[in-house]
Amino acid sequence: MGVGPEDRLSPQAAAREGVVITHEDVDRAHDRVRVSEARAQRGVFPRFRLLWLLVGPGILVMLGENDGPSMLSYAATGARFGIGFFIPFVVLTFCMAIVVQEMTMRLGSVTHRGHAELIFDRFGPFWGWFSLIDLGIGNFLTLITEFIAIRAGLGFFGVPAWAAVLSAFVFLCLAVATHRYWTWERTLLAIAIFNLVFVPVALLTHPNWHSVSHAMITWRPLPGGLSQDTLIIMLADIGATVTPWMLFFQQSSTVDKGMTQKDIHLGRFDTVVGATLAAIAAVGTIIATAPLFAHHMTAENFQAAEFAQALRPIIGHFGAALFALGIVEAGMVASVTISTSSAYAFGEVARRPHSLNLPVWEGRSFYSVLFLCAAIAGGIVLIPGLPLVYVVLLVNVVAVLAMPPALVFLFMLANDREVMGEHVSPTWANLLATGVVVFLTVAGVLFGISVIAPHFFAFLGGK
Amino acid sequence: MVAKEQEHDSITPSDQALVLSSLEREQLAGLKKHLIPRRRLAGPEKFLIWSLRVYLFFMMVVVVYQVWVGLH
Repeated sequence: MGVGPEDRLSPQAAAREGVVITHEDVDRAHDRVRVSEARAQRGVFPRFRLLWLLVGPGILVMLGENDGPSMLSYAATGARFGIGFFIPFVVLTFCMAIVVQEMTMRLGSVTHRGHAELIFDRFGPFWGWFSLIDLGIGNFLTLITEFIAIRAGLGFFGVPAWAAVLSAFVFLCLAVATHRYWTWERTLLAIAIFNLVFVPVALLTHPNWHSVSHAMITWRPLPGGLSQDTLIIMLADIGATVTPWMLFFQQSSTVDKGMTQKDIHLGRFDTVVGATLAAIAAVGTIIATAPLFAHHMTAENFQAAEFAQALRPIIGHFGAALFALGIVEAGMVASVTISTSSAYAFGEVARRPHSLNLPVWEGRSFYSVLFLCAAIAGGIVLIPGLPLVYVVLLVNVVAVLAMPPALVFLFMLANDREVMGEHVSPTWANLLATGVVVFLTVAGVLFGISVIAPHFFAFLGGK
Repeated sequence: MVAKEQEHDSITPSDQALVLSSLEREQLAGLKKHLIPRRRLAGPEKFLIWSLRVYLFFMMVVVVYQVWVGLH
């Protein structure tokens, strides 16, 4: 395949091939005209304008992945282990996320096809369905946790559970109401940037910067050594940065945005900026809850609002409220991105129109899936007595376990010369990607061993 | 083409011209219905994919077991 940038249809060829121009095409064309105009001009301002026009999917996917369960994982990490090993570890996981997500951006820009569509086309429906089922289960469980986070975060301010879930659903509806990818992306980016609210919360705890820099250099201390607890937190933190929905979301949104081969460099920049912002927010969260470790508070099983309550004596009501708001933002943004990822994948596989540029009627199946996923997940959260805490704790672990099979398809697609042409992954990228797959698989196997043989780590010298 | 265009009757000829001049062929929604040719998996690739599928099934059983233990 490997379409060239000048591979455009003439009006005669379009008429001959019976090509139907849709509203989706028209909206995307308007976006591309602005990109072309910015690219054609010289100077600093047009460069920044081009950058502004092309950033989006990378930042959204990374800040979207700093979602309810992820922030909870980071908060539990800080409360359980303080400032130490996990600060550089989380930075490492975001480096892995860059390696993985860059491939999806490149695939989307070159092929103009979503991830689910490419897997179905290139590897057949058998493997396609496996991937889609993995994605569907993971997305649904994660979506439930986003609503749990929103409910818990707003609960800090006394908002009843039904009102919290309803407000999240209304937010989701408003986010897609413009039927325009560009507006949707900018609105969500503006809200997602509030993920950095965990940084001022961290500053309010007056962290010991010497300990932070010492941890970054030495990867120490790791209180308790290697144990099942440590491993679960490690897995949860990995699952907080690399998950299957991110692959499907960034590739599909890259396609929906209309990015092309010419945009790959800035797409990489977008991904790196997103990972950097998300890593800052993640480290900020660990630092913010580290005082709970210093005060010997047993906080590893806390829910979002409980962290805010526990931090109140240390950072005051304002700081605690910021923490709770951060959890709400994390859940809100992720509920939109994850629902959208499910809707994209469904549309790609069912060969139904799938774009945020579609008017309601033309995109009825796309929007139906998007709203239905969110409505069911939100409804489940309101059922009294369900052991939802297990979903929250395990959703990131499940995401890590599902990653190696998903990454192998991504790896094969990114190296498929028939699909990618000259844009196949270079050797260094393949080495890094292989390292990520091996790392995730080993982490998963160690988790399995720790469950089946809990005394294994004690035998090795841990606890 | 004409009949189908009536479904998108608010799309003007200038819109069509804009689309055809600014989007690449593969970006047109109407052309995405064409399948990308299927790839034949080599033996080692099949082995790797199946191994990871078995790994995932096994690990999911482990997760379910852990939840069961946690609940009891």
